[in-house]
Amino acid sequence: MENVIIEKKINKKIPVKCKNKSNFIPIFMISVAILTILSLFYLNIDWVKLFSRVPDMGHVFWQLGHLDFSKIDLIFSSLLETISIAVLSLLYSLVLGIIFGMFAARNIFKIKALSIFTQSFFTFLRAVPTPVWVLLMLVCLGMGPEAGVAGLCVHTTAFFTKSFAQSFESISDETIEALEATGAGRLSIFFNAIIPTALSQIVAWAGMRLETNFSECAILGMVGAGGIGFVISSSLKGYDYGTAGVAILLVFIIAYLIERMFVRIKRSIN
Amino acid sequence: MKQILKFENVIKRYPNGVHALNGVSFEMKEGEFISVIGPSGSGKSTLLRTINKLITISEGTVVLDGEKISDKKGKALRSLRRKVGMIFQNYNLVYSLSVLQNVLHGRLGFMKGFKGIFGIYSEEDKKKALSLIKELGLEQFAYNRASDLSGGQKQRVGIARAIMQEPKLLLCDEPIASLDPSSAKTIMDLLKDMTSKRNIACIVNLHQLDVAMKYSTRIIGLSKGKIVFDDTPDKLTEEAIEKIYGTSYENLMLGGEKSEKEDSFNCA
Repeated sequence: MENVIIEKKINKKIPVKCKNKSNFIPIFMISVAILTILSLFYLNIDWVKLFSRVPDMGHVFWQLGHLDFSKIDLIFSSLLETISIAVLSLLYSLVLGIIFGMFAARNIFKIKALSIFTQSFFTFLRAVPTPVWVLLMLVCLGMGPEAGVAGLCVHTTAFFTKSFAQSFESISDETIEALEATGAGRLSIFFNAIIPTALSQIVAWAGMRLETNFSECAILGMVGAGGIGFVISSSLKGYDYGTAGVAILLVFIIAYLIERMFVRIKRSIN
Repeated sequence: MKQILKFENVIKRYPNGVHALNGVSFEMKEGEFISVIGPSGSGKSTLLRTINKLITISEGTVVLDGEKISDKKGKALRSLRRKVGMIFQNYNLVYSLSVLQNVLHGRLGFMKGFKGIFGIYSEEDKKKALSLIKELGLEQFAYNRASDLSGGQKQRVGIARAIMQEPKLLLCDEPIASLDPSSAKTIMDLLKDMTSKRNIACIVNLHQLDVAMKYSTRIIGLSKGKIVFDDTPDKLTEEAIEKIYGTSYENLMLGGEKSEKEDSFNCA
């Protein structure tokens, strides 16, 4: 029998793939290709114009590189505003995220309906992007940093709720059982066993999120929520590339510093 | 002697149809040290966890210190649970906290409201915890993280946490199954010593027959969710052991002096 198979294959090339491979991946790839072509046609992109403008990109970056420090006081004050918005929204969301994460985690109150409700509610909030929340808050609260903080909080809280709930759920049931056996209540177990165990993960999530919030703040300024984003967008619109260059460079430096800081904090916690 | 625990025809069925306990009845008095032996899956762990209602029974009653714990819920259940300390095979400590904090967890059930939630312990509790840590020979580790300790030391912290509750009954779920022989002996000696000094009744789930014979005042043998042996260690004959484990005596790996003596007797 085996000889037959080998002889049969002698003239052909020997196949190497699994016999019953799923055809999901080829179908997926073909669909992606079709969708790409359709999108290109729909958007009607003028490739000739696009490539003719590529040298301009170099020009713009060259202009940005001519840093202009004449408006540094304005840049700094708006940068401080951006940092404050990011930090405040992070703090509020941390507190809210821990509380809602407690409801969303299945192993704390052990009420299935509560966890499912909390999780689906925050999945809905998370599905709507931050700039949309900020625009909504601008309508409700008026222009200014308050709208930025509130809008960022919505999305960040939703994000923390999900990630904290996952961290809480990863704590072994045995540890919780041990404290249940002492007669401790649910909240007591949560604050004395679950939070200390999940603390390093909470710090890691917070660090990641502060970085994201900071860079999102820069975008939010452009829709009118104050901060460095407003400086960047208005100076770009006024062809004041030097000022925009300084602002962008500072955004990059701060984001990098936040990342390094949290790498250090995480290391000292573990 | 006062009765501390009473099981009346307790049945536990799991949703998957397994009968973990199948009509278990026994009584326990103050000062007793009971070992529960039996093969894996015989219901030892379930039996232990029905005592403080970590597992809810399907039928029957469990009476703990004169109160039906099987009917209790919420606050009443929690205050009854304080009377029962528990230690585990895997220690189940909060490893990111200090040894002292882990020991103080034994007081959480007694603390009300705000203080209980945020773990603000009284100076009296702290003094007591420190003296207990000293009694267990861990004084130099009181402010170390629990994760820094060895297995035997972690189990000692587990014992301290349970004793902090000032329990009337101590439940030990295979306390020495993950320990080396030397630490295992330390732990068993400590259990025996601490419980008899404080007049705490003790139930220990064990796989080691020789340990059960040496330390207990009474042995309960479980097989398929039923009590098939319930007597003093000296009554644990070969036939009784064969009945508990459902296999002949030669097929059992038995440590300890008894089998060693017999081996040398057979050789001679």
